[in-house]
Amino acid sequence: MLRFNTEIFWESFPQLLRYLPITFEMIFLSLLLGVILSLALVVMKLGKRKALRKFSNGYTTVIRCTPSIVLLFLVYYGLPKVVARFGVNIDEWNKLFFVVLTYALMSAGGLSEVMRSSYEAIPRGQTEAALSAGLTRLQTLRRIVLPQAFVVALPNLGNTVISILKNGALAYTIGFADMMGKATRIIAKRYTTYALETYVALAIIYWVICILIEQIIKFGEQRLEKRKIKAAKEGIG
Amino acid sequence: MNWTFLYQTLILVLHGIPMTLFLTEVSLLFSVPLAFGIALVRKNNVAVLDKICAAYVSFIRGTPVILQIYVIYNIVPSILAVLFEMWGIDYPVYEINPVIYAIIIFSLSTSATMSEVIRSALATVDKGQYEAAVTIGLSGRQAYFRIVFPQALVAAVPNLCTLVVNLIKSTSLAFAMTVQDITAIAKIEAASGYNYIEAYLDIFIVYLVLCSAVEQIFKLVECRLKRYKSATI
Repeated sequence: MLRFNTEIFWESFPQLLRYLPITFEMIFLSLLLGVILSLALVVMKLGKRKALRKFSNGYTTVIRCTPSIVLLFLVYYGLPKVVARFGVNIDEWNKLFFVVLTYALMSAGGLSEVMRSSYEAIPRGQTEAALSAGLTRLQTLRRIVLPQAFVVALPNLGNTVISILKNGALAYTIGFADMMGKATRIIAKRYTTYALETYVALAIIYWVICILIEQIIKFGEQRLEKRKIKAAKEGIG
Repeated sequence: MNWTFLYQTLILVLHGIPMTLFLTEVSLLFSVPLAFGIALVRKNNVAVLDKICAAYVSFIRGTPVILQIYVIYNIVPSILAVLFEMWGIDYPVYEINPVIYAIIIFSLSTSATMSEVIRSALATVDKGQYEAAVTIGLSGRQAYFRIVFPQALVAAVPNLCTLVVNLIKSTSLAFAMTVQDITAIAKIEAASGYNYIEAYLDIFIVYLVLCSAVEQIFKLVECRLKRYKSATI
């Protein structure tokens, strides 16, 4: 018979949502580290050194071709053994560390491409104009190029957050206790009965978070767009 | 590093490639008509269906693939059991090959992304192209197949490449349904000998080669299709 226990379904929500902060913490830290890594990559990509350019482009390709679960396993099982050779023991480190590192490495590849293309979307003439108007290189970057590049990058940034959120669900495979980890444990506790109810509840939670992220990004885009139009009208842009 | 294990597992893992490619190909095959249907429904704003398709695409794109796997893997057997009972089919539902479930899931999840790719590709072709084609005497069908689709395809190729690569990557989750693909074999080997790094390095390389090959093929296709592009200008 097709059975769906609505009581258990509704009960799952508060149980799972209690672990939502951990999921958010994971996303935030991964994104932060990912942005830092991708900044390094994008500097290499735009730089003059051919070897560094090749390295960072190669990195992006390799990451794009790696399933996130494979990367997760490599980081979780591989990294402790690699650093053990140098006499460092990280076996007992918090699983959050490995999860964050995995998703930072994963998102850095795509983010560096996003950053590069949005940087290149700003016409060179703007930089030249700013420089000839007397701004320093750093000022030009900070005041002229980056604010505009950020607007271009925003939608893709949103996609990166969503992909970290979705791929992050795999962290349960190494025993990380986020929402998905909690769901598998609830199900195991009930001897796999009512698995469907819990999974559907979790799917709905993920869906709602994704929609919220999309809406926030859309809102941010509209705000920035409006400011741009206003600036253009006033003759500043 | 255990080199002999690395080598032995690599050979074993290679036996999983046909399964991974089979899952990818069949899922793609099934998702193409589904994606076209969704794209056309949404493009032509068909009442009600349009909203359902939008919700479907949003749901699939907003949930992790692993959860889709667990939901469908749990729900489809029960639905089938009810249906089989209704129609009086005597077939052991719980003995259905998990590969079939894998194909269902990957087709469904790919069709959502693909419908978006098709939609955005069709949007790149100017409406005037279709109108011009109809004006000079082509039928609607001819206009679509000879004028609109070839141009849309050029725009769609890079996105399709990403889609196929992502599909290959997500088939690595088929282990959750006990399908014996590349990842599943490596996981079993890794757990039996505690040689985790070696096993995962193997599949890392295998996926890298597979996905790079797909990217190269798409690059060739893109070069070939570029000749249609002159028509868009």
